[in-house]
Amino acid sequence: MIEARALSVGFGPALALREASLSIAPGARIGVVGESGSGKSMLGLSLMGMAPDAAEVTGSLTVDGVEMAGARERVWERLRARRVAMIFQEPMSALNPLKRVGETVMEPLLVHRGLSRSEARARALALFREVELPEPEAKAMQFPHELSGGQRQRVLIALALACDPMLLIADEPTTALDAEVALRVIELLVRLSEERGMALLFISHDLAAVARATREILVMYGGDVVERGETEAVLAAPRHPYTRGLLAARPSVGDFRRPGAPRRRLPTIPGTVPPLDLLPPGCRFSGRCPVEIARCAAERPPAHEGARCWLAAEGAA
Amino acid sequence: MAYLLIRRTLGFVLTLFAVSVVVFAAMNILPGDPALTILGLDATDDALAALRAELGLNDPPLIRYLHWVGAALTGDFGVSHSFGVPVSGLIAERLPLTVSLAVSGMVVTVAAALALGIAAAANRGRAGDWAVMFLSQIGVAVPAFWLSMLLVLLFAVTLRWLPPGGFPGWEEPAAAARALILPTVSLALVQSAVLARVTRSSALEVMRLDYVRTARAAGFSRRRVLWRHVLPNALIPIVTIVGMQFAALVTGTIVIENVFYLPGLGRLVFQAISNRDLPTVQALVTLFAAIVVTANFVVDLLYLAIDPRLKARS
Amino acid sequence: MKRVAPNLLIGGVLVALVVGVAALSLVWTPYDHAVLNVRGKFQGPSLAHWLGSDQLGRDVLSQLMVAARNSMTVALISVLVGGTIGVALGLTAAALGGLVEEAIMRVADIGFAFPALLFAIMLAASLGPSLWNAVAAIAFINIPIFARVARASANQIWTREYVLAARAAGLGRFAISRDHILPNIAAPVIVQATIEFAVAILAEAALSYLGLGAQPPAPSWGRMLSEAQTLMYQAPQLAIYPGLCIVAAVLGFSLLGDGLRDATDPRLARAR
Ligand SMILES: Nc1ncnc2c1ncn2[C@@H]1O[C@H](COP(=O)(O)OP(=O)(O)OP(=O)(O)O)[C@@H](O)[C@H]1O
Ligand SMILES: [Mg+2]
Repeated sequence: MIEARALSVGFGPALALREASLSIAPGARIGVVGESGSGKSMLGLSLMGMAPDAAEVTGSLTVDGVEMAGARERVWERLRARRVAMIFQEPMSALNPLKRVGETVMEPLLVHRGLSRSEARARALALFREVELPEPEAKAMQFPHELSGGQRQRVLIALALACDPMLLIADEPTTALDAEVALRVIELLVRLSEERGMALLFISHDLAAVARATREILVMYGGDVVERGETEAVLAAPRHPYTRGLLAARPSVGDFRRPGAPRRRLPTIPGTVPPLDLLPPGCRFSGRCPVEIARCAAERPPAHEGARCWLAAEGAA
Repeated sequence: MAYLLIRRTLGFVLTLFAVSVVVFAAMNILPGDPALTILGLDATDDALAALRAELGLNDPPLIRYLHWVGAALTGDFGVSHSFGVPVSGLIAERLPLTVSLAVSGMVVTVAAALALGIAAAANRGRAGDWAVMFLSQIGVAVPAFWLSMLLVLLFAVTLRWLPPGGFPGWEEPAAAARALILPTVSLALVQSAVLARVTRSSALEVMRLDYVRTARAAGFSRRRVLWRHVLPNALIPIVTIVGMQFAALVTGTIVIENVFYLPGLGRLVFQAISNRDLPTVQALVTLFAAIVVTANFVVDLLYLAIDPRLKARS
Repeated sequence: MKRVAPNLLIGGVLVALVVGVAALSLVWTPYDHAVLNVRGKFQGPSLAHWLGSDQLGRDVLSQLMVAARNSMTVALISVLVGGTIGVALGLTAAALGGLVEEAIMRVADIGFAFPALLFAIMLAASLGPSLWNAVAAIAFINIPIFARVARASANQIWTREYVLAARAAGLGRFAISRDHILPNIAAPVIVQATIEFAVAILAEAALSYLGLGAQPPAPSWGRMLSEAQTLMYQAPQLAIYPGLCIVAAVLGFSLLGDGLRDATDPRLARAR
């Protein structure tokens, strides 16, 4: 069980993550969407205690009831891999090029679990089978550059699963992959989450991927969680103008990208995301928002039925 | 892989051959009459002519070169004019000292540089980092022979802890080791200054990479990430520099042996120069150049061993 | 105004100092550096002799000043000669390409097998030790270094559009090399020259220390150190000053070279 309250990540006065609250129950599957720079990775990294050195992290974060705010690196090291694990966007560069991938997956088993080499090897092969890496024995002896992108991502997932974490954070795990391969990786993540009762925080640009992978969703903009709710409900009836913009900018709603179809990495909303330190103090989306009202730019809207929007709040009042 | 290996080996052999040609040309085609230098200015013309014939100086250069290389390949470098014994014997006698000096210098260099460079990178921007960077900047500018003099001034003249120079011979291992401490440190300090900088920047480069983040996310300690993940990857540029430095160290022994009066190959070459003992100088220069070339060849092979990606590319 | 990078600043100041002293020695030194004064030997620092006198009573400061001039001269000539030949070879290699380029660069590789010391030893053995042999040896090792730098930079320039345009206009390879390539590789070549200047100062000092460079009575930092070494028990201070001069000069030129490189190649500067 992981619980974040008013978790912020600041670079000087600029907030890359603004008072985010989130509770992750075992087996939960939560999607995080938003444009580039909206703070998705910062959210994931701060749940791992891996925000950049320059960042100032405030707020509360408990893991299994233990408060982690201000915890030392040593304490975090004991949590990583064993309670919270993370995989990253670039499977190309996320694996140590000098290590055989089998060795890479064995390392946490040897270091954290204290297994013997032969036990670790057997366990690594079992993990490779679990993530459906073809020919696990042969692949284990290969170096990262000898594998395909999808295979590397599977190795990274096996590495993340090695110590049976209760939460897997997947930061854009499919962005660098072909549509077909991406689809299978998403299916794998969902299956692993269900079989293991492991929570999944699925960070993505791709609304269709999030729709497939998750049951809950967080929509982020400018470091703020602007809308949250059940994935299906939010995508079917978005309340925040930003979410509506995201959905409108998609090629076709609810339709998963077909293999070979032109890739659209970034949904586009008119205007551009301003730099962090130039964001308005109130609703981060004001200035780009088509329906903004007077108080939006100056006052931060309260969360109302999942949406941080003055219009939603006032319409209800 | 095999293709690459053969190519490198072929290049290595060709370079060795070219080196022998350059040495021979520099020593035999340039003006200067070895017979005259051996016999002195008051020698009679007859004596000079006889000696020239004996030394084969009247043969065309190509023939002389082939004779020399052919003999050298069998380990025969001719007879030293000044010592009157085979040059190979002289070399065999003095090689152990020079090799020990170069190897111990290299070991100290690499150990110090890796420790300092990695520590500086891990503490980037903090006091320790600045100290390492500052010292290495100065270290690069300090001539090894002056550093040796300062060390002698401090540890031999003032504190009297270590001998100022000379070598007691291998029969007394403890005294021999003591005699090699200051020379080793002098050789290593300057080189490790260079290498520590390279290590630091290479480690910093690697620390930014994604797989280092993966290793941290896998819950490994800072130390483990640094030594098991960053260092091996940072080694690739380090190995290049180490190869170049081994060459610098080997020629550095020439200087350092003269500072500390150590009877190795470096002293020998200077005795040979002052005696105009051409066969000895020629053999030694070839030997030193061959060591430099070999060091570069070994670096090439090390690359293949370290980096699995290179094997794939070939 | 932009702040001057510290290495450029410190390097520039040190270089100005050393070059200034060397230039000053042309018109003025406190004493004639070669005049002996056996009664006044081993003097400590005083108002008359700021840095004292040596084993023959010669004024140390005056010797250091003249040695600075000698050191600068050796470095300048050897880098200039070696650099010119090297750049010419590198430009030729880049201009002709193919087998010629391959051949030139292979031969340059062989040059790397001979550190300056080995070269000087060969020359000393066949021609006798002299300052000119030292200059030749240092110049020689600079040839392959500059050939590499020039070729690498020139090959980049050869792909530029204005070069293609010049070729289309029917300009010959050597004319293009002279008019378009050379001016555009000046920056890396100058940076390399500054760094090699530092290397040359170190090499001259080492060769002179070993007796393969400056011959008596020409003052040289390296030779002053080798004389001081035999007097370490009587006059340790004589072993200090020349070494400090070498460090100042070498540090100055290498910092200046680093600074210039960072200034002319911002991509590299940011990576560090
Ligand atoms: N070291 C840093 N110093 C200052 N600002 C930073 C730093 N690292 C990240 N940021 C800022 O934090 C903000 C959030 O970045 P984050 O990587 O979380 O975005 P993201 O939503 O993951 O985007 P993407 O989709 O591109 O991965 C960005 O505006 C970024 O500029
Ligand atoms: Mg991101």
